[in-house]
Amino acid sequence: MSPDVVNILDGNTFVVSDERGDVEATPTDTAGLFSFDTRFLSTWVLTVNGERLNALSTDDLSYFRARFFLVPGTGTVYVDSKLSVIRERAVSEGFHETLTVLNHDEKPIDLTLRIEAGSDFADLFEVKDALDKKGEYRQDVEKGRLVLTYRRETFERATAIESSPAADIDPSGLTFRIRVDPHDSWTAQLAVVTRLVVSGQVRRTPGSERALRRARSGMEADLRRWISSAPRLESDWEALNDTYRRSLVDLAALRFSPLSAGGRSLPAAGLPWFMTMFGRDSIFTSLQALPFTPQLAATTLLELGIRQGTRIDDFRDEDPGRILHEMRYGEMTAFEERPHSPYFGSADATPLFVVLLDEYERWTGDRRLVRRLELEARSALNWIDEYADLQSNGYISYQRRNEETGLENQCWKDSWDSISYRDGGLPGFPRATCELQGYAYDAKIRGARLARLVWRDGAFADRLEREAADLKRRFNRDFWVADGEYFALALDPEGNQVDALSSNNGHLLWSGIVDRAKAKAVARHLLGRRLFSGWGVRTLAEGESRYNPIGYHVGTVWPFDNSLIAWGLRRYGFKEEAARVAVGILEAAELFSGRLPEAFGGYERMVTKYPVQYPTACSPQAWSTGAPLLLLRTMLGLEPVGDNLVVDPALPVRIGRLELLDIPGRWGHVDAFGRGRFAQPARQTTSRSAAKRR
Amino acid sequence: MGETTSSFFEALSGAGRQPLLAHASGTLRFELSDGGETHRWLVSVDRGEITVSRARRKADCVIRADRRLFEGMARGEVNATAAVLRGAIEVEGDPQLLVLFQRILPGPPAKSEAQR
Repeated sequence: MSPDVVNILDGNTFVVSDERGDVEATPTDTAGLFSFDTRFLSTWVLTVNGERLNALSTDDLSYFRARFFLVPGTGTVYVDSKLSVIRERAVSEGFHETLTVLNHDEKPIDLTLRIEAGSDFADLFEVKDALDKKGEYRQDVEKGRLVLTYRRETFERATAIESSPAADIDPSGLTFRIRVDPHDSWTAQLAVVTRLVVSGQVRRTPGSERALRRARSGMEADLRRWISSAPRLESDWEALNDTYRRSLVDLAALRFSPLSAGGRSLPAAGLPWFMTMFGRDSIFTSLQALPFTPQLAATTLLELGIRQGTRIDDFRDEDPGRILHEMRYGEMTAFEERPHSPYFGSADATPLFVVLLDEYERWTGDRRLVRRLELEARSALNWIDEYADLQSNGYISYQRRNEETGLENQCWKDSWDSISYRDGGLPGFPRATCELQGYAYDAKIRGARLARLVWRDGAFADRLEREAADLKRRFNRDFWVADGEYFALALDPEGNQVDALSSNNGHLLWSGIVDRAKAKAVARHLLGRRLFSGWGVRTLAEGESRYNPIGYHVGTVWPFDNSLIAWGLRRYGFKEEAARVAVGILEAAELFSGRLPEAFGGYERMVTKYPVQYPTACSPQAWSTGAPLLLLRTMLGLEPVGDNLVVDPALPVRIGRLELLDIPGRWGHVDAFGRGRFAQPARQTTSRSAAKRR
Repeated sequence: MGETTSSFFEALSGAGRQPLLAHASGTLRFELSDGGETHRWLVSVDRGEITVSRARRKADCVIRADRRLFEGMARGEVNATAAVLRGAIEVEGDPQLLVLFQRILPGPPAKSEAQR
């Protein structure tokens, strides 16, 4: 994304503009006002007396507000204008824009302000793939507003634009002819309102200053509440405090309320392409954030549970009990040109749903929700054996049934080349990737706990535990690459090992499926030279044929992946190793100004000195935002045991003091304290001068 | 009035408790237009127990659709969520009830279903 692009958002409504605040979208780029996967404005360009403006500065006031200081002129270095223009924009049900013109001259000035407005109503999928539209466009000037409409059969999306004071409106924009007195100013409020399918009138949003202030102050109060209800972090590592705060604010921004959720919100996956409900991403982010904002997990569980699969639908890759992969609201989904209504092609979200439900209960003690979701949890557990065991070999594997628009790779490493043998060959389908077996094991163990504790079904619990024990035994036999002492990435359709060394081994530690006797070798690999870059664990080990330090899933370092790996190391007692991974990622976060990207390059830390951002990674990404939270939990060794929170910190001396105050849970609120105790290996220490050079 | 619609609601009425709706409670009114006429069906869900009537009561969720489209839904050929998104079904009130109601609709007639 180019550096002059400004994003502001509220839920799945967001604006991407240039540094002047203008939107001039081409069919394939992401500029515009988007809501529910549809672009509602693709043109929004301000001119004064027919000329474009230049940006003096642009401020992100908060995640939903931005301000643009503009002057007329040719864009040369020397600016001497008697005129300046301020655009202040806030996203909420579309956006509001306050346009202010300041006359610095001693004479009055007559001006023509023009806003060109238009919309291509592109579906997000079309923006990605540059597809043609099938419906018809209208531009109507009615009662002081411009209404842009797109219609295809019964499908209708509209954008209404109005202003106060009133403008001269024509089908392609608004014009203000104004006079500004000496040293005086002129202000207009613009409201852009998006309309979905709902029948009847365009919802009126008063363009008054008061309404605008109210919308802003409501959102600001909400953000303050959000931050103040999360635990407080205090440490002598200033950058860590900043990263923590950045994570909380970004998580607030990434909250998304599905159309039928009655205003409750769950984490969407990322900006700008992924502002929607994803099974995998919403679950992982909720897991990471559990000690901080447990309400996200409750909504994620409820909303995913309500939409759980109940039938066989090949187009949507739906099975009974399966948890959805992705929900979309755009035109292509509406006309079933894409299967996202919702699409179910993910092999991990279903076991992870049970994992999250159990972890949620362990933190919050909310058994009511566990009872409420008993049917869904049982169906999810049933899916593992009944529908996901495609090869009848006792392992989850995946193969899409929708061969046109379904997903080929249904695990988190979903790119075409992510699952490979050492020699670079790619296996056929179905594929049984290793981490899926770990999640299934964990789901059964945790499901058994819930069955005994809440559903009062001892027989079911016994059965799940027997199945889990059997799965663990088989897994440690079938996936163990004996000559390398690690677990294979997958089993291929013939049951042979896909034998590349990958970060997935860390997920296996997290799930608990690894035999104690094998854990040490796995941990050694994770922190070894081939996988550990100095910043974090690479997705694929150096030395594997497909290894590429900037390959999406074949060599980059993913903060989310590392947060689970650290948790896994901790689970098997490798406290110092877990903290080394945690500190590496948090030091990288410092160099990304507190906002971790989706992925960064797997280059050796000693060589590049600073982490190299992966070229097209989107940001903020929900599970990267959640990573610092889980890493904090891991370093402090926070673990609910019965009605108590056990704190068992393991910190490197890099962190002198770490305090997390008011951690919410079934214990009420408790504080956790930690002090740095052990030294880090030399190759790990941050180079401050390198950071500055960047 | 389409045979399919009547038989769908009759079957629903006689099907007894729906375990998939065990945690759902509320009323849905289906207003199905057929030429110039509108046929109304009231479905009450009380923790999985379903009763169907033609009573004209206030409902928590009102679903308006063409009769033929609804019959497609009842046969599993029309996906209700996609239909809502393209404006072919209009929902008023609590949309979550419709999401839950979809659980008891059949899947599309596909060959993999016969294979299982």
